[in-house]
Amino acid sequence: MRLITRTQAVLSKRSVLWTLVVRDLRVRYSRSVLGYVWTILDPLLMSLIYFIVFVYIVHRTDLGHQPYFLFLVSGLLPWQWFSGVVTESSRAMIQEARLIRSTNLPREIWVARVVVSKGIEYLLSLPVLVFFTLLYLLKGDAHLNGWLVLLPLGIVMQFVFLIGLGLILAPVTALVTDMQRVIRILLRMLFYVTPVLYASRMVPKPYDVITWLNPMTGVLEMMRAGLFNHDHLPIQWAAIGVGLVVTVFTLFVGFAVFARLERPVLKEI
Amino acid sequence: MSPVISVEGLGIEFYRARRRRLSVREMVFHRKNSAPKETFWALRDISFDIRPGEAVGLVGGNGGGKSTLLKMIAGVLIPDEGSVTVRDGVAPLIELTGGFVGELSARDNIYLTAGLHGVSKEQIEERFEGIVDFAGPQVRAGLDTPFRHFSSGMKVRLAFAVVTTLDEPIILVDEVLAVGDKAFREKCYRRMESLLGDGRTLFLVSHSEGDLKRFSTRGLYLKSGRLTMDGPLEDVLDQYNADQVDASK
Repeated sequence: MRLITRTQAVLSKRSVLWTLVVRDLRVRYSRSVLGYVWTILDPLLMSLIYFIVFVYIVHRTDLGHQPYFLFLVSGLLPWQWFSGVVTESSRAMIQEARLIRSTNLPREIWVARVVVSKGIEYLLSLPVLVFFTLLYLLKGDAHLNGWLVLLPLGIVMQFVFLIGLGLILAPVTALVTDMQRVIRILLRMLFYVTPVLYASRMVPKPYDVITWLNPMTGVLEMMRAGLFNHDHLPIQWAAIGVGLVVTVFTLFVGFAVFARLERPVLKEI
Repeated sequence: MSPVISVEGLGIEFYRARRRRLSVREMVFHRKNSAPKETFWALRDISFDIRPGEAVGLVGGNGGGKSTLLKMIAGVLIPDEGSVTVRDGVAPLIELTGGFVGELSARDNIYLTAGLHGVSKEQIEERFEGIVDFAGPQVRAGLDTPFRHFSSGMKVRLAFAVVTTLDEPIILVDEVLAVGDKAFREKCYRRMESLLGDGRTLFLVSHSEGDLKRFSTRGLYLKSGRLTMDGPLEDVLDQYNADQVDASK
């Protein structure tokens, strides 16, 4: 099966994949001493601004779990990984055209590279989440619980979903010239229809089912399950289940689309 | 000896316009795509075998499909018809500086590019001095400055030094011998000759008759996408030159 053989091909070149990832991180962090700060500053400032807007201006405290600031941080960090991969993978083939033209690697590696290096950036930003969790624990506001085991599973699910999505986006954007712009707009819209700023339970029925189709809904449920108390907003298991199915489906479609478009893309770049 | 490269009935089709320019805007508003659909075969019905240790020169005019053929052997283009079977590792001297990142230092770039071609860290460390020596004193002096500050000559020298230290038994060269100043070119030639002496297989694309004669013994003549001649290099060059004279009349 293509999915398995191609995954094996990429894994057999994992040292090359690692080289590429290290290069990405080096380029990102060598450009400025503030490199790491940039990684965490963006989600932190956004969390702060949404907190100010919703809590102090709109006076809504029931949008998500409490403490709401922790809720925002726990959503914006994985969202940054997601949006980073969507933007980067839609440039991946064009940006690396010279390398793709001169080295014979399994081409899926160019997508894997983006997902892995953005994923490592996400992992590097987790200390921020730990910091605020501890801070709220000390204040007595946080409610850590056993569902924390879902957090790493959520990371795995997001990783698999992003691989599938990247495998679709990378070749399509290389062939369709103005696709990048469309994706930028869609990404911004998607942000508001994904339960990042609000809990998935806040979406009125029957529209909540639509948001379940977005695996990020399930991913965020899993990542947040262990951090908050679920008296008012119980874990949305249906979102997790549907998200899992869509994730696997996306992975299969991704490999199929990539296989179909690899040839024209190589001619194009 | 069994062939190390087998090409069978190879063909590849391209769109006449360089870019297809599909665009969402057009697809949505005009419900069709105005991109030219006309295609042509850049290469067709190409078949040949290369045995280990052979030095092959690709001869042909512009647009004959030389670089395209080389890219398919390198595995960076996929044929639409037929097949290319390469039974050994390939060191492609195509787009030499492709793997280099301007932001990183030359030292990092050596590790990066060699790593991309699958050389382990220890092996690179072993060869590091050799690479820098070959690239010359200017490169050595600038080892820790960002690659983008290098002059274009220095860039190519370093790239050439890295790619030719790869231990691959097949070497593909696309017009990259004409780099650097005269002294460096001589160095490149000597490096190429020593690689050939090691019994490697060479596939050379060049417009320079001197280079072709110096390195290759067998010639393949590509003319508008067809393999019109396959034989001793001298004969192929004679045929090519005769055709060129005809064409310029």
